[in-house]
Amino acid sequence: MDLLFEYRVFLLSGLIETLKMSAVVALGGTFCAILLTMGITAKPRLLNRASYALVELLRDLPLMVTVLLVYFMLPMTGLGLNPFWSCCLAISVWGGANGAQILRAGLASVGKGQRETAAAFGFGPVKTLLLVTLPQAMPVIVPPYVGLLTALVQATSLGAVVGAQELLRTGQVLIEQTTIMQGGSPAYLVYGSILVVYFTLCTLISLVGARIERHFLKPYSASSGALAEDRAHEIDAAISVRT
Amino acid sequence: MTVIDWGYILAAFPDLMRGLGMTLMVSLLAILFSLLLGLAGCALRVSGIRPLSYAMRGYVEFIRGTPYLVQIFFVFYGLPSLGFTLSIFWSGVLALTIWASAFHIESFRAGLASVGREMHDASASLGLRRLPHALLVVAPIALRSALPSTLNTVVGTIKNSAYLQAIGLVELTFVAVDRIAQDFRSTEMFLSICVIYLVVILGVSALGHRLERRLNRPYGSR
Repeated sequence: MDLLFEYRVFLLSGLIETLKMSAVVALGGTFCAILLTMGITAKPRLLNRASYALVELLRDLPLMVTVLLVYFMLPMTGLGLNPFWSCCLAISVWGGANGAQILRAGLASVGKGQRETAAAFGFGPVKTLLLVTLPQAMPVIVPPYVGLLTALVQATSLGAVVGAQELLRTGQVLIEQTTIMQGGSPAYLVYGSILVVYFTLCTLISLVGARIERHFLKPYSASSGALAEDRAHEIDAAISVRT
Repeated sequence: MTVIDWGYILAAFPDLMRGLGMTLMVSLLAILFSLLLGLAGCALRVSGIRPLSYAMRGYVEFIRGTPYLVQIFFVFYGLPSLGFTLSIFWSGVLALTIWASAFHIESFRAGLASVGREMHDASASLGLRRLPHALLVVAPIALRSALPSTLNTVVGTIKNSAYLQAIGLVELTFVAVDRIAQDFRSTEMFLSICVIYLVVILGVSALGHRLERRLNRPYGSR
């Protein structure tokens, strides 16, 4: 424990980098998810098929391969990216594919009648989506989406493989240094603590997510709220994030 | 973009196949062990013995709430300093097993929860004892409804075996990255391993779907 305290500034810098990456992939992942959902639900057949294929491809390939692929291939396209951004890009696209699946299932869970009624009231497509479909889809979207966000935070640890200076990488450096200087590896202590830090982060996200979920269930009476919750968890199980 | 050098892929093919062999070997062992551990863990989870049930719940929550890569490093680098040394191969199997069994426990538990109360009542009224009731009534129904998420975890185990390249296990991803470091043929290597992973993963998924359809036959076409 002394060791962790002694190098607290170094480890903290890693944690901050991890939080930065998490924020970037959460935003980037959501952006990609919205783009891909628009692609999947688009009318033109070619666009529709292409986005669907992209989503399936990203969900079927191991995330490790996607991260390495982006890291090694991007410089060839002339974009010299640093580890931080190439890792964020890869994780965002992966998160987008999983997120698109969640958004699509959520939107599909709202009955067709709702959209028809909105159209009958003269709502345009954007208004219908924002004021009618989305609020009703939220109880179905939020639980799996929170799960996706925790998966994204966990995925940022892959930055260590390509050399981003995030929490896991700082832990590795710390272990190498102390093993050389003092002999005897503190690996179990360092990695154990990192596990606890990630667990705390993910638990916090889940707690906030549960609050948001309650907020969106509020308009429903107790019984139908429970129904929506059940449906949400059913879908959650069916489309669980693929690593 | 550069033109793909097919000759290079052909030359690398034997190496890639050896890597694939390792990927499949590690995954297969981990799938086997994790299914067994998952069943045992689920039994403890629903045993009604408070401390054991809470311990299993905590295990599942912790594994699902932490990055898999850190778990691997903890197993491979951390356990030896606690006096528990394993080879790269067995560290990989252990880490994959720990990860997958947490997910299996959860899907088996959800499967058990899906068995309706009326099943228990029906068994009781037929005079079935506990063991035959569990094995002949509950298990077939519970395992069927747990199958989709279990298959998802099984496929996930194969995909997650790619993470083991980080501790130096010479599996498919490691072979590709190793060759890229020597020959800089990243297009050729990534194209190859993406195709190989897709074939394996889609193949296993398809087998799983067949199994699902076969098992659901008594309930009509679904």
